[in-house]
Parts: sequence; structure tokens; C-alpha cells
Amino acid sequence: MAGIFIYSDKADITSEIIGFARLNGKLPVVLTLSEKDAQALRNAGADKIIVIKGQSEMIENYARAIAAVLKNEGAELFAVGATPRGRDLAARVAGYLDCAMVSDISSASYKDEQLICTRMLYGGAVQQTEKLSGLSVITVPAGKYEPVQGEASLQTLELQADTRVSVVETAPIVKEGVDLSKAEKVVCVGMALDKAEDLQIARDLANVIGAEVGCTRSIAEERHWLPAESYIGISGAVVKPKLYISMGVSGQIQHVYGIRDAGLIVAIDTNEKAPIFKAADYGIVGDLYQVVPMLTEALKK
Amino acid sequence: MSQVIACYKWVADEADIRINADLSVDLSKAKGKISDYDKNVIEAAVQAAAALGGKAVGVTFGTADAKPSLKDALSRGLDEACYINAQEASQADGAATARALAAAIKKIADVGLIICAEGASDTYSRQTAPRIGALLDLPVVTSVSKMDINGNILTAARKLDDCMQTVKVELPAVVAVLPEINPAPIPGLKAVLAAGKKTVTELKAADLGADLTPRSTVSEVKGYVMNRKNIIFNEGDLAEQVKALAAALRKEGVL
Ligand SMILES: Cc1cc2nc3c(=O)[nH]c(=O)nc-3n(C[C@H](O)[C@H](O)[C@H](O)COP(=O)(O)OP(=O)(O)OC[C@H]3O[C@@H](n4cnc5c(N)ncnc54)[C@H](O)[C@@H]3O)c2cc1C
Repeated sequence: MAGIFIYSDKADITSEIIGFARLNGKLPVVLTLSEKDAQALRNAGADKIIVIKGQSEMIENYARAIAAVLKNEGAELFAVGATPRGRDLAARVAGYLDCAMVSDISSASYKDEQLICTRMLYGGAVQQTEKLSGLSVITVPAGKYEPVQGEASLQTLELQADTRVSVVETAPIVKEGVDLSKAEKVVCVGMALDKAEDLQIARDLANVIGAEVGCTRSIAEERHWLPAESYIGISGAVVKPKLYISMGVSGQIQHVYGIRDAGLIVAIDTNEKAPIFKAADYGIVGDLYQVVPMLTEALKK
Repeated sequence: MSQVIACYKWVADEADIRINADLSVDLSKAKGKISDYDKNVIEAAVQAAAALGGKAVGVTFGTADAKPSLKDALSRGLDEACYINAQEASQADGAATARALAAAIKKIADVGLIICAEGASDTYSRQTAPRIGALLDLPVVTSVSKMDINGNILTAARKLDDCMQTVKVELPAVVAVLPEINPAPIPGLKAVLAAGKKTVTELKAADLGADLTPRSTVSEVKGYVMNRKNIIFNEGDLAEQVKALAAALRKEGVL
């Protein structure tokens, strides 16, 4: 059966990729590793959900078997959610098929039986367009497509797992911060802050406008003033708030990658040549220690 | 099984990229560098080779421009390097890159561990380690933030979205490491001098016997510019500027 085969370890992304398939008039076939995940996706618009049964709890370990299924079923695309597990699985399947793969697409659309994908290079400075034909693989970040509805048929499939890698232990990551990707407004602090207590300046503004506080990588990874979940950028969180306000953030490309889809970008920085101003809708060139408390006051009213 | 392979890539420094008015991309002023994350890969390979009692060998697939990478890579503690010098590297996608690296690795005897970064700082495709694993049919462990080698068993901590997962694998294997795996020290002068005396094996495309054609077709490469208003409030004193900003935010309806 032709169609788009889909896997993600996040049900939300699976639903969104099903939406992508339906949008393009393709049959979505979902792979899952558990009955429970299959039930949760039962009404998400897939044509069929295949529950994989086998000897491993790691989806990555079914790469070779999944590659064979895709070939036998005449799949036209394997679309996988862009998470650590998903990217691993996707690239391994592409390796076994020795086929084309586009990672972390920015967009994908069909034209004359070819899939035209765009993605970012150089930390977001450059956009590349690639054309795929024949069985190919893509990974799809969260939030790209609208989910749909519709009941799927359910089926189980025994697959041979590669059990050379085995799980010894799993420990949940305790998320200390908030999920910035869902925040409506974000106030972002950068390395301009002198000391951790000065985060209060950002929190005061955030409280007044109902925003979450995010930061640049260095604030989280070097200074450890905010949890790792709080940093925004290509290696951190990608945010899509209505409003993003930065203070003392220079706006290096790796950071700006994470705020590209923000509705409105506001920058406060002492350096008028800071790249953040090129990425901003509104800006004030000035000392955050002066500007931010004034802005907080002004927005209280 | 004692040799440890560090796959690394010589990339254009993103800080030097110029985007022309017509959105074409100018790399002519861009200096080359070892992809940031690959410095951690090299350090991880040096440490793993010590644990396994073998050599750490760097493998890179690049054009003639990648030659300066060798001295840099070797000064970071690698014992030897293998340089696939091929013009095809400039057009390579994830498939061609993995085929080139896998073919070169096959020529190296006694490989116990192959280390890659999750992705390179130019393309950040995160395909190389899993693809090499598939091509050589070796087990793969990605997103590794910590690893220990005990005899022939590698134990790795994987940093996933929702959990830390500890996994175990018997060598040989392929791993993709995260930058946090080690601090990748800056090489000292002595190490830089010693690098010049280390062995480099240079391979040409024809030596590999591998197909180096990409599987996907790149149809366009252009600069990304954000279309933003770029309004800086600079009229009057700071108080007036802040007032103007507050008014603009109200008008935009984002509060
Ligand atoms: C491979 C790679 C991946 C990366 N991934 C990420 C990522 O995902 N996210 C990320 O954020 N970074 C990332 N980085 C780091 C990134 O390149 C920058 O180094 C980082 O974003 C800079 O953080 P910053 O803006 O806080 O600090 P700086 O660049 O030091 O900027 C500080 C700014 O504060 C201004 N300033 C100083 N004092 C004041 C004051 N009193 N009032 C107002 N302004 C003031 C300065 O003018 C300057 O513009 C990555 C880097 C690499 C190489």
C-alpha cells in the first residue's frame, strides 16, 4: 500500500504529520510501539495504525525491519517526528534504504510527484530547498501542521528487533522550567545580566504582561541561572509567542533561530549594532537596568 | 577491537557568511573551522582510545579546502588521520557523506568504536552516525551525554526529550555524542607542534569504491532574512522612547 508512513514518540507530532499527509491527499499509516499509543491516536485521521510487536522497547532498534516494511508496502515517504529518538530512527531507516533524507524540515509540499522541502543551514542564516523523489525520509518538527480527525483501523505486526543495544535504566528528566514552546509571551534575558538576582527585573516585567522568562544558552549552560529548558535557540527551545522581548541579548544566529516565528520581536540592548535589532520589530538602544523597569511601569497602567 | 574513529567535518564559519542583496549566499570570505561539535567528538575519541588501549583515528570527508583541518584535528590528540579528499564532498548529502565515511572506515583495521557528533554546525542534519551504523550494520547509540567503556562493553547515557536513558552495547558500535560529553580543551603549543609529525592517509574518491552521488537534489540555496519592522525608538529621552514602545505594543494588540 502506498502512502506516507509516520512515526513519532510524541503523539502531538504524529497527529500533525497525519494532518500533513491528509492535506496532500496521501494515505497516512502510523507506526507505534504500544497498544496504548495506538488507542490514543485512534481518532487522529490515520488510515491505519500498525502496532509493532517485538523484542525491544526501543523504536530505533526496529530500523532495519521498518526499512523492509516501507519497501515491501511501496511507501512513498517515511515522515518522522523530529525528536532525538525520531531523528535516530529516521536516519537509520534512510541508511538501510540508502535513500534521500531531509532533516528538520521548515516546509514540505508536493509538486509534480516530487516532495519539495526547505530546511535551515548555518544555524539559520541560509535556507536550502531540496527535491525528493522515490521513497524518502523526512523529520518534521512539532507545530508545523494542523491535526485532523477520523477513525483508523488497527493492526499488529511482528518485527525483528536489533537487540544489540539494550536499555539498562530510564530516569525521567525533571523539568524545572516551563514549556516555553507553548508560551504566549516570552521575556528573554542574555549575558548582560550582572548577577542571578537581577533576573528579578525580567520577572517583574514578565509578571506585568503575563509572560514566561527565557534566556540565551550561556545563561543556562554556563551560568546555570535558569534551567536548561529555559534557553531559546537552535540547540534549545523554539518559541512562537505573540510577543518576545529581549534584554541584553546580542541576537546571534543560533539564538534567533529559536524566535523566528514569534509574532512581534522587541529588543533592548546597549549596542546599537547588536544583530538582535535586525531581527526585531521594535527596539530601544539603552541599558536594560534603566529601560526594563521603566517599561514595566509603563505597561502596568 | 581497539581503534577509535572520530568523524569530523571542516565547515565554513557561519559568522563569516554574507548574504547579498539578492539573497545569494557569499561564502568566499568564510574561514574554515572544525565543526564546533566535532571538537568534542575528537576529545571523546582520544579518551575512548585510552580506555580501549588503542589509537584514535580522525576521518574526514572534504574537498581540497579541508586540508588545514588535519593539523588542527591532530593537535587535539588524535594519533592519526584519514582524509578523503574529494570534490564530491561539496555536493554531498547525508547519504553520500555516510557512504564515503563508511567506505574509509572499512579500510581501517580493528575498529572498536566510531564516534560522530549529533550534527555538523553547517547542515546540522544529524544523519551521519545512524547512517554509518546502518551501512556497516553496526549498533548505534545517539544523543550520548556520557559514556563509559568497560572491557568490550560501552555504557552510555542518552539525553532524550522526556528522559535520561542508560543503554549498554557490546563493541564495535557507532555513537553520536552531544557537546556536553566533555569540555574539548584547546590544544597547547606542544600538541600543535607534534601534530605535524603524525601520519595522515589521504584517499581519493576512486580509492573508496563507493557511490558518492547525493540522493536528494538541492534546487536552491538562499540567505534567510527576517522581514521585521526594524523600528528603533530614538526620539527624545529614554522615558519618551519607553512610552513610544509601550504605545506601539498596545497598538499591536500583543499585550
Ligand atoms: C553550535 C552553537 C549552538 C548554539 N546554540 C545556541 C542556542 O540554541 N541558543 C542560544 O541562545 N545561543 C546558542 N549559541 C550561543 C550563541 O552563539 C551566542 O553565544 C549566545 O546566544 C549569546 O548569548 P547572549 O546574547 O546572552 O550574550 P552576548 O552575545 O554576550 O550578548 C550580550 C548582549 O548584551 C548587551 N548588553 C551588555 N550590557 C547591557 C546592558 N546593561 N543593557 C542592555 N544590553 C546590554 C551587549 O551589547 C550584547 O549585545 C550557540 C553557539 C554555537 C557555536
